[in-house]
Amino acid sequence: MATTIATISLASSDLTSNSLGFTATNPLYTAGSATGLSLTSGLAKTNFTSTDPASRSKIIYRADNAATSGANKVYLRNMSTTPAEFFTVYIDQEEMGRLYAGDWAFFPWSATQGTLETFVVTATGTVAVGDSWTFDGITTTSTSAALNTFAQQVDNEHYPNWTTSISGAVVTFTARQAGVNGVVTASDAITGDTLVDLADSNFTMPITSGAAGTRSESDIVLLPSVATTMDLEHMLLHE
Amino acid sequence: MATTTNSLTLTSTDLFDDSLSISNTSTCYKAGTTIGLDQTTGLTRTYVTATTQFDPFPVVKGATNAAENGKVYIANLSEEITEFITVGIGDAVIGKLYAGDFLWMPWSPKLQHVNDIEITPSVATGMHIEFMAIHNYANIYPDSADS
Repeated sequence: MATTIATISLASSDLTSNSLGFTATNPLYTAGSATGLSLTSGLAKTNFTSTDPASRSKIIYRADNAATSGANKVYLRNMSTTPAEFFTVYIDQEEMGRLYAGDWAFFPWSATQGTLETFVVTATGTVAVGDSWTFDGITTTSTSAALNTFAQQVDNEHYPNWTTSISGAVVTFTARQAGVNGVVTASDAITGDTLVDLADSNFTMPITSGAAGTRSESDIVLLPSVATTMDLEHMLLHE
Repeated sequence: MATTTNSLTLTSTDLFDDSLSISNTSTCYKAGTTIGLDQTTGLTRTYVTATTQFDPFPVVKGATNAAENGKVYIANLSEEITEFITVGIGDAVIGKLYAGDFLWMPWSPKLQHVNDIEITPSVATGMHIEFMAIHNYANIYPDSADS
């Protein structure tokens, strides 16, 4: 296990009539244990530059990337040196506050995840060499007249938004990120797939089951105050 | 104006192959200025004996400080590693502070109950919790009624 130590210090000689100062030091453990957090996003620097106000916010950390209810920790720092520039920090739709130039934040994160959209497709009928099925921008063209072989070809693809697993002629698709993706529209229907049955041999790829996803409700979102350029330093330590 | 500095260090010799050392110090300023924040709730240490949610920084009805730049410190002083406090804001859960954990975050309070900070202890057997706000809010008091 890793040992990571967090220390905070606060000091003022004139905020109150007597001087104020304290320091707190704590190792970062996984939830309810004395085992150190061992996973991290690494220390990252993200630039925000845009002239389009609608697209200026960025999801810095998705709840999918950490354990729900884990003792995850988020570090954020506004690297701007212009006092008026700030990032507004959100958890999902809830505004936490503003990080002005030089400000930092360090807080726990429960990372409440949504659910992943999923569906099952089954190669059915008689497949011919040259038949194809397109989904998520990936076209799989059959090199065989065997349904299981075609299903294996589909499973071998690397879909940008989905992962797959296979059992015989049945391929299960699971979204890479939680959310209401709009692809699964019913338990037996999806959008965006195209079948080409060259030999008109009744080759089909029916959806035999499916479930829509739900969005994560604790993604960390940051919105810069200006559209020129601002840099954010950030790090996630997580389970 | 007051000058209050806050610093964070994060260190590890074995989280990566190379050592990690982050150190930041900043000054608590009013929003968009280099004028120091001049109010504080004081560092409060409380002993909670119920799992009832409470607001450590109650917002007075009618007050809004949505454009301000306050800072909040909360620490779980428990020494029992399974004990935690859940910290939330408005309708969102921020996260859980386990024994010894602390947070430091900005807070711009809106109207009462809109984005109040809330703490929920995990046990009713007694936990010490520490919290403090440094701010320039209007109409926020540590002992006001939060109806």
